[in-house]
Amino acid sequence: MTRAPLALVLLPLVRTRAILGIAVAQLRRSPGRTVLAVLSVALAVLAVTLLASLGAGVVATGEEGLDNANRDIWISSDPVDPDASGTENPIVGAHGTAAELTQRDDVTSASPLALQDVYVGTDPDPAELQRHPAIGVQETHDGFDFRAGGGFETPESAYETDQPRSDDPVTNEIVLDPRVADELDAEVGDTVYVGTSRQTAPEYEFTVVGVSDYYSQYLGSETVTMPLVDLQAVAGTTGTDRATFLTADVADDADREAVAADLDESYPEYDVRTSDEQVEAMIGERPLVVASGATLVGLAVVGGVVLTVNLFALVAAQQREELAALRAVGLSRRLLAGTVAAQGLVIGLLGGFVGIAATPLLASGLNRFAASIASFDGLVRTSTDVYVLGIAIALVVGTVVALVAGWRAGRYATIDHLEG
Amino acid sequence: MIDLHLSLRRTASTSGATRADDRDGSSEDSAAAVRLEAVGHEYGTDSGRLRSGPDSSVTALEDVSLEIRPGEVVGLKGPSGSGKSTILHSVAGLLVPTEGRVDVLGTDVTELSARERTRLRRQHVGIVFQRFHLLPSLSSRANVALPLVQAGVPRSRRRRRAESLLEEVGLGDRTTHLPGELSGGECQRVAIARALATDPDVIVADEPTGELDTTTGAEVLDLLTDAGRDGDRAVLVASHDDATLEVADRVIPLRDGRVVTDER
Repeated sequence: MTRAPLALVLLPLVRTRAILGIAVAQLRRSPGRTVLAVLSVALAVLAVTLLASLGAGVVATGEEGLDNANRDIWISSDPVDPDASGTENPIVGAHGTAAELTQRDDVTSASPLALQDVYVGTDPDPAELQRHPAIGVQETHDGFDFRAGGGFETPESAYETDQPRSDDPVTNEIVLDPRVADELDAEVGDTVYVGTSRQTAPEYEFTVVGVSDYYSQYLGSETVTMPLVDLQAVAGTTGTDRATFLTADVADDADREAVAADLDESYPEYDVRTSDEQVEAMIGERPLVVASGATLVGLAVVGGVVLTVNLFALVAAQQREELAALRAVGLSRRLLAGTVAAQGLVIGLLGGFVGIAATPLLASGLNRFAASIASFDGLVRTSTDVYVLGIAIALVVGTVVALVAGWRAGRYATIDHLEG
Repeated sequence: MIDLHLSLRRTASTSGATRADDRDGSSEDSAAAVRLEAVGHEYGTDSGRLRSGPDSSVTALEDVSLEIRPGEVVGLKGPSGSGKSTILHSVAGLLVPTEGRVDVLGTDVTELSARERTRLRRQHVGIVFQRFHLLPSLSSRANVALPLVQAGVPRSRRRRRAESLLEEVGLGDRTTHLPGELSGGECQRVAIARALATDPDVIVADEPTGELDTTTGAEVLDLLTDAGRDGDRAVLVASHDDATLEVADRVIPLRDGRVVTDER
């Protein structure tokens, strides 16, 4: 009787150790099947980690695009869609409004920004011109990280609002994306022709002053950067002074959200957002992208789970005769389920490890691929959360699914599986 | 708990009184280790559980009564489909017959839950299959020790017990061999050692020599009968082979699920 409590404590330990021993023996006996099972789990883990990293990277890239612009407040007029940059720019009188904003005590600076598709080429022949998105800004800055040449600065005189502005470009300077420069075979100092149509482009000559992919990263396509006033000149919108955004920096002692709310009240025709809200708005304006991302992640998780379920159902089914024999010699269903679950745990552990180890390698490869085709750096971003998610899928799903598969197999592992 | 000091030959103290605690039978049943009373079984009925299908029941057993005493070796003889395996499985609690009563050590197996039947089988019934059904991934020693896992016997004691039993069946030098490295006769000897691991009161063997040549089969039968007679165990051997059944104390012929005669 005195041994009973000790036996109660030791019993589960003895059984657990035996279960693990049987599971490992079963896995070692079929190394080919075990390796395939481990690779399957690794694949499921990779699908989840890479897609989750992609989702995180897309959001982070959007945020950084705005962070790089280093502006506190973004003013737009719906709808704003950077991808559809060939459409009209909805804000009119942009420089006037920017000047008004700058005069406020709680705003230190404000500037307009326009997006427009243009035709650009080194040869004025309309057939040789290439279409690319252009972004119009007041000046370039250190963040451009020029690969060649430098940037441009629009003279203050170009923004004088008390007299009619010239319809001609002011600086005639342009910064090209490296791939646009390659495509056009243009170098710093070369002349390129820029216009909003093939017919008007030969009328406007610009000098390439620099090569940088700064805005390409933000827009996701090969972008040329030019002074806003020049972009308006070639687009014929100088008169209406059109822009896509007005951006503003608030004073150090001012509350960003309070200023945004005040501006929203002052300019009811516009949407005024803080940079954080702007990220949310821009993501929200892409329900298809968000839905696609969510669907991909959902499918990755469901696919991973289905793959794992199928795998362990197969493992359990293949061992049905052995499980039936074990049941016949008196082992309980719980113990049989334990042997299959332990195999799931081991396979999940190994598969999870392989998947997690391969994640940074593949993420790096995907990033190089994304950078080569779409100007995005660091689009797939791994994080601790992503690794935890991956290993949780491998271990929890692997073990739980194997336990259920083992339990079910134990139920059907009856004596008739030992006959004939 | 299981007495791990036993082998093919058991001491009298372990075969009777110490096991009475596990039984709910009365002393009047103690003479028979196994008793079947008017047992009938139809596959395809609800209680059979082994088949599902619309109204396709097959009568496997009909009004079978028999009893086996400790130390007695009884043969079940008959062609395929005569009901031999169904009787063995009923005794082992692997199936519940649709009619009648099956007493093992005084406990009516038909009244037990699946869990209780598994427990009864684990503690009191050893099974030997025609095709051995050893786990190919485990050594012969680990295979023999398997039934002791459920009882929570520590590994070192399981090993000692298994090695002792393997020694008894003549495989002392094969303890670490995998089943794939053993001959058919050696595999069946490992299976007999496994059946004896928990020191059962009853051994059921279904065509134990079916996969073996005559000489090897004879050796295996010797082991089985020794385990029964020397260990005071009831042994039930099913076979369609007359030579195999010659070792039995008596043979019960079956045909179409019915006992033809009881030669006792």
